[in-house]
Amino acid sequence: MSYVLRRVGQAVVVLLAAFTAAFVLLQAMPGDAVMIRFENPELGLSPEQIAALRATYGVDVPAHQQYAHTLLGFLSGDFGHSVQSGTAVRHLIAEALPGTLQLALLGFVTALVLATAVAFLSTYPRLAWIRGLLRSLPSLFVSVPVFWLGILLIQVFSFRLGLVPVINPGPVQGLVLPVLTLAVPISAPLAQILTRSIDEVYTQPFVTVVRAKGASRHWVLWRNVAKNALLPTLTMAGVLFGELIGGAVVTETVFGRAGIGRLTEQAVSNQDVAVLQAVVLLAATVFVLVNLVVDLLYPVLDPRLRNKSGASV
Amino acid sequence: MSHSTTPVRALSLLAAVGLMTLTGCGASASSGTGGDGGPVPGGTLVYLEHQAHDSLYPPSAGFYPNGGLVNNVTDRLVYQDPETLEFEPWIATEWEVNDDATEYTFTLRDDVTFSDGSPLDAEVVAKNFDLYGQGDQDRALIVSEAINNYGGSEVLDETTVRFHFDAPSPGFLQATSTINSGLLSEDTLDLSLEGFGPGNSTEVIGTGPFTITEEEIGTSLTLTAREDYAWAPPSRENQGRAHLDEVQVSVTPEDSVRVGSLIAGQAHFVRYVQAQDERQVEEAGFTVHAPQTNGVNNSLSLRLGNEILSELPVRQALVAGIDRQEVVDTIYTDHYPLATSTLSTTARGYADQSEHLEYDPERAEELLDEAGWELGSDGVREKDGTPLTLVVNEAAPQPRSFEALTLISQQLAGIGVDLRILAADAGTYAEAINDPDQVQIYHSMVGRADHDVIKSQYHSQNRNTLLNRDPGDDSVQDEELEELLEEVASAAEPEDRDEASAAVQAHLSEQAYVIPLFEEPQVYGTAPSVHGVAFESVARPSFHEVWLDE
Repeated sequence: MSYVLRRVGQAVVVLLAAFTAAFVLLQAMPGDAVMIRFENPELGLSPEQIAALRATYGVDVPAHQQYAHTLLGFLSGDFGHSVQSGTAVRHLIAEALPGTLQLALLGFVTALVLATAVAFLSTYPRLAWIRGLLRSLPSLFVSVPVFWLGILLIQVFSFRLGLVPVINPGPVQGLVLPVLTLAVPISAPLAQILTRSIDEVYTQPFVTVVRAKGASRHWVLWRNVAKNALLPTLTMAGVLFGELIGGAVVTETVFGRAGIGRLTEQAVSNQDVAVLQAVVLLAATVFVLVNLVVDLLYPVLDPRLRNKSGASV
Repeated sequence: MSHSTTPVRALSLLAAVGLMTLTGCGASASSGTGGDGGPVPGGTLVYLEHQAHDSLYPPSAGFYPNGGLVNNVTDRLVYQDPETLEFEPWIATEWEVNDDATEYTFTLRDDVTFSDGSPLDAEVVAKNFDLYGQGDQDRALIVSEAINNYGGSEVLDETTVRFHFDAPSPGFLQATSTINSGLLSEDTLDLSLEGFGPGNSTEVIGTGPFTITEEEIGTSLTLTAREDYAWAPPSRENQGRAHLDEVQVSVTPEDSVRVGSLIAGQAHFVRYVQAQDERQVEEAGFTVHAPQTNGVNNSLSLRLGNEILSELPVRQALVAGIDRQEVVDTIYTDHYPLATSTLSTTARGYADQSEHLEYDPERAEELLDEAGWELGSDGVREKDGTPLTLVVNEAAPQPRSFEALTLISQQLAGIGVDLRILAADAGTYAEAINDPDQVQIYHSMVGRADHDVIKSQYHSQNRNTLLNRDPGDDSVQDEELEELLEEVASAAEPEDRDEASAAVQAHLSEQAYVIPLFEEPQVYGTAPSVHGVAFESVARPSFHEVWLDE
């Protein structure tokens, strides 16, 4: 119990640090959102009009006051308004989040399936003749640029073969290509680590013992090797979940999907501080949660760790 | 045409439509109907936008994604014919302007309603212009760039409204015809900036042929035809409701996906076909539309406040050292005509300045030699230890800005000028473009079909693209230019405004302040099934007369 409490405490510290770091960095950058939005010559505003607008937005207030104001706002659930469009950030996030969650989760599951398939096939003795090919797949997958893959999939499956529309697709149709685009690069490191772990576990003495006792290859693979090989993969999976957010930026832009990725891309290009602050906090929260889940899963998979955490209760 | 459609009639209509498609006359028609069959009612047009809109507040409608929506949701007092640029009645049936253009009186139609059912009367029109003419700082709602010297409104009776100006405002009549003056309902005018923003678009109410009925922030938006629409400009073919039932606006940022979707039949109408993609669209049998923006050309403004550029010979050398024809031929297409002045040939007040814009690299080198800029060992000229290095901004909203500037940079290297391209994050960019010592050459354009456009671009209190007013110390470099520009915006008679505008263009050329590149179009692609494509005077699409023969 105290373990969980300690982890929650750590999470709060991490979130506060992420929030503060984001605030400081955004303040340190040249220019600000109000400047970008209203000092743009395209609007043809006079210097007096711009000065009045800066006062309206309260950007002339000292940084520490802005920090306190923003932090209090976040604590009370008020994320402020986008400078670019005036829309409430809460509203923007609420509209964008479900689409991205769906994309990220499906992308992650697909990546896991893909990685597992590649890893097990490439350690399977009967497929030894194409092992070289299978083992080079992860290197290929990781070097494919996401935007290129997305455009390629669209060109082939949508424009040439007409299998799925890109414009106004149905809810399921609209997910097929983006999920695949996102899953391929994420699956690469997973497959690589899983393959290597499987190889390593096979060389362990206990595998030889189990085999000597007459266990079949399949038994060994599923009951002993896979279970042990999963641990490092799980750690990697936690880290990779964050990469989904980066992948979503490109995928959502190429496919014209609404989501956190698109929102982030637009907020970055306009230095829309309120939106960025919320996105950073959201990403940090997801990271913390995923890693918490991973940590809690360790003891389930490995009895040795179970005893260790049990001792601290 | 009768509405009792018998099978025979329907067949002949189909045949007519088929014939039209075959001969291809429908697709290129820029207005209304084609052939005997007439427009086919109904259907949903799929329109692909390059970027998501960020506001429906009309003075912010200069941003194309905003303007494309505002143009179809709102009507204006006066209609400006996009071909002739002449003014015609629309919501106002007639108007009167006093001699010095400080008083405008409009008589309004009495049968116009907003899509929420409220009537359009003098009161609400006055409220519209009070907001656009003065802005509201507390709500961060900006003043319309098109309206100068606004004094106030006066409601004379239910259908008559008068506007007063503190100084002559000859551009106001045209201003009432632009999308920046789209008429909105009483309640809409009380919205905050947030209310005009994405997420609340269905609450923005106008009198236009379409209303916004659905919105997914940043992705898609549905425009639905208003059944009772009956107040199109009298000169337009379609006086009733829009032919289409709906327009589905989908945001598709990726260029190749937009063009590919059009050709694959997943969309009917796309905005922003890049120059290099035009051929692909045309070869597939689709139509490229390139309406002109009728204002200040796509050009490079040389910042006067910078020390290097404060010398006339250096500026003249830059003008003579850039092969503009090569830029247009290499980077763009025939839809991007070579500029012959700061203004487009189709702009109000255009005066030919080609004699000042000739490509002559030898003359350029001579000018630099005479001015004391000597060729250094690295091929870059220098004077008193200062290299002839200049920075130009990559203008993200301009088509192929980076490619064009790269070619220009190569051309200038030939005469010993080192031109660098600034590509930076938004904050750095916003700061740099307002500093003549960071960005010495500014790439931009502005579209508006009125004489005032040249003042918008160069006056120190507007876009100030030459940085004639240095934002650092507010000093003005060239007072004469300021006076010439103010004359354009205050002369009451159109002939006098032509003359004043010509004087500005001559001054800009003689002083070599501006290097105009091309007359900028907005390029759209449409499928063969799309007819009745039309644009307003600065190339935003109008869907009122569009129809589909699928």
